[in-house]
Parts: sequence; C-alpha cells; structure tokens
Amino acid sequence: MSLQNSAVPQPVVTIKLASTSDELMQCFALRSAVYIGEQQCPYWEEFDGNDFTATHLILYVDGEPASSMRLRWFGTFAKFERAVILKRYRSMGLFIPFTQWAMEFARKKGYARVYLHSQHRLWPIMERQGFKKVDDKVFHFSDHEYGAYYRDLEIDAGDAPTMHTDPLVLNRPEDQLDRPGILEHSVERGASNPHAGWTERRTN
Amino acid sequence: MSTVKQSIGGEPLTTKLAMKMEDSMQAFAVRAACFIGELDVPYSEEFDGHDFGATHVIAYVGDEPVGAVRVRWFQSFAMPERLAVIQRFRGNGVGQLLLERCRTLAETRGCNMLYVQVLPNDVKYWEKQGWRRLVAGDANAGAKRIVAMVRAVDPSKPLPDVEAPESIVLRPEPQLDASGLPLGSVSN
Repeated sequence: MSLQNSAVPQPVVTIKLASTSDELMQCFALRSAVYIGEQQCPYWEEFDGNDFTATHLILYVDGEPASSMRLRWFGTFAKFERAVILKRYRSMGLFIPFTQWAMEFARKKGYARVYLHSQHRLWPIMERQGFKKVDDKVFHFSDHEYGAYYRDLEIDAGDAPTMHTDPLVLNRPEDQLDRPGILEHSVERGASNPHAGWTERRTN
Repeated sequence: MSTVKQSIGGEPLTTKLAMKMEDSMQAFAVRAACFIGELDVPYSEEFDGHDFGATHVIAYVGDEPVGAVRVRWFQSFAMPERLAVIQRFRGNGVGQLLLERCRTLAETRGCNMLYVQVLPNDVKYWEKQGWRRLVAGDANAGAKRIVAMVRAVDPSKPLPDVEAPESIVLRPEPQLDASGLPLGSVSN
C-alpha cells in the first residue's frame, strides 16, 4: 500500500448504547428519516409504545448519527428491532458489524439467543450471518413481509452475569460491563446513609 | 395556491402547539422524515441547537402528525422555519395551515412581522401566500441561495420599516460555544 493511500482518512465509526436523551433523540430521528420519510410508515406504528421499555444502540460515522437499532429483552432471547441506516451511509457495510456489536452486547448480558423479524428482501443477508428461520411462517405488518429468525450465541458460563455476580458489576453501564462504573467510584464515600434518620411518615 | 382542507380522507385536519415532550417528539419526527430522510440533510444541521429555544407547531390528520413548523422569536419579528409536511399528505394546504397558525400565534404575542428564508425557486409560492422580498430585487439572492421574505402579521397594517439582519438570524445563539454546538455536547 502506498503512503498516499494510507493517508486517505478513513471514516471513524463508533457504536454505543444510547444513554442520554440526546442520543435517544438521534435514534428516533434516524428511524423517522428511514421509516416515516422513506418507507411511509405511519407515526404511531413506528413509535409503537415500546421505545421506553427498550435498549437503543446508536452508530456514528465521523460523529454524525448514521444508524440505530432497538433491542428488547425477553425471558430467553433478545429481540433486535428497528434497525436503520441512513441512505447516505448505506454503501459502507455498516449493517453486519453493527449487528455483530449488538450480538456481542446481548451475549455479554448473558443472552444465549437473539431473535428478529426480517423483511423478506433481507433474508439472504440474515442467512449468511448465521441466522436460522424459526419456522416457515410469513407474516406482515406496516406494509412489509417478514419472517422470524434466530441465532444462538456462545455464552461463557463463567462470564455471564448472574445473581451471584459482584453487585457493583451489575450496576455498570450495560455497554461497559467490563469497566468500573460511576457507582464504583462512589464507594470511596462510604455509607453515611444520608436519610437514615428521616423515618417519619409524611401525610399528603 | 392549494386551498386548506378541513379534513383529509375523512379525518379532521388540526394544528396544535407543542406543549409536552411527546408533542415535540412528533415535530422532530416529521422534520427528520422530510429533511433527513427525503432531502439527506445531516442530523447535526437539522437539529441545530435552536429547538429548545423555539415554539413548535404540529399539524395532525386525525391522530397522525403530518406536518410541523418551528417559530423562533426575535425582538422585531417572528421567524417560522423548518416547515415540513409528510410526503403523502402534501397538496392539501397543510403548510399553509401551519403558517396561518404561526401568524395568529405571532398576533397574540403582539408581534408585527413574520420573516422567512426561502429557496429562490420557492419565492413565487411565498409571494402568492402574501409574502414579499425583504430587499426588493435582491441581486445577491442567487449567490446566497436563500431569499429573505417578510409579511405583516396583520394584513390591514403596513409593515414597519425594519430590516431583519440575516447575519444575526443565522448566527448561533450567544450561549453556544465556538463550535456552534450547544454547550455540554462537546466532551473536550
């Protein structure tokens, strides 16, 4: 590779858990752009009531919001939903690394299976990614045909969080379970139990 | 000029001011659909730091948010901007209805003048709606790619002879830092 080629700046891609209201707003804007703007989805179908019970992931290209995904957590599987990439970023091959990041995220939380509804046109891509059809049912909503897919993840039994994991590890930001979080720093302050003396019942 | 309809497909066409987070969210969704989804505007340009210092008006067909406009308030004028109508609802006068709501809103606040910045190709449309160029025959308009237009809030009263300086309007608010982004959004 020539020096000149390596000097061409590559776009910086970052992925994170949407953890502030701004980041959440960016996820919603991306979905509005793609589903409401491009695919003519009605507002109330896109914002279906599950956004504030879900985990949202956001991907940036050079700091600009480019892609997002919503994850919901069921008993035995994580459900991946509402995955979008803005039109101008679609040729960059972001979908597969983003899905892999999301799977790794679910795996670290201890989920052994992910599940998703894939639009018919994306079935070959899902199958190349190791996803299998749950059954042969084809169903439709919001004007698109879907099939249910799943993929099993390899869980490291010693690694997955359980009730016996260090309590403060369970308190960490979910996309940084391997790093001390802000509450671990608060341990230094000790337990002064600031409102321990405040036991009287208040009348309304 | 399209006439403003009272209803579309049997559902009433209404407007409302954004008062709750969900309302603002709907205004943002409509703008993201039109500007980011259709026109490929980058997120950081569309959501430019002015959204929480502005008033948002939303248009509904039944329960469905179909249009939005943002109004910023200046000392001598009110500035409607970011006017957007979801594609399949266009041609029903939704934009006109939103601008009329901006006008009555400005009226209740004792504001005399509305000011907009439009694309040169759209000037004729705005003229039909009763707007005029701020600077008659503005020769630089082509180069700047925007045309400043004004209209009296009360059509029976002549416009006060006030110039709305574009440079001030477009500049980020003073509490913003040099990057043009709201304080706190940059980590260094």
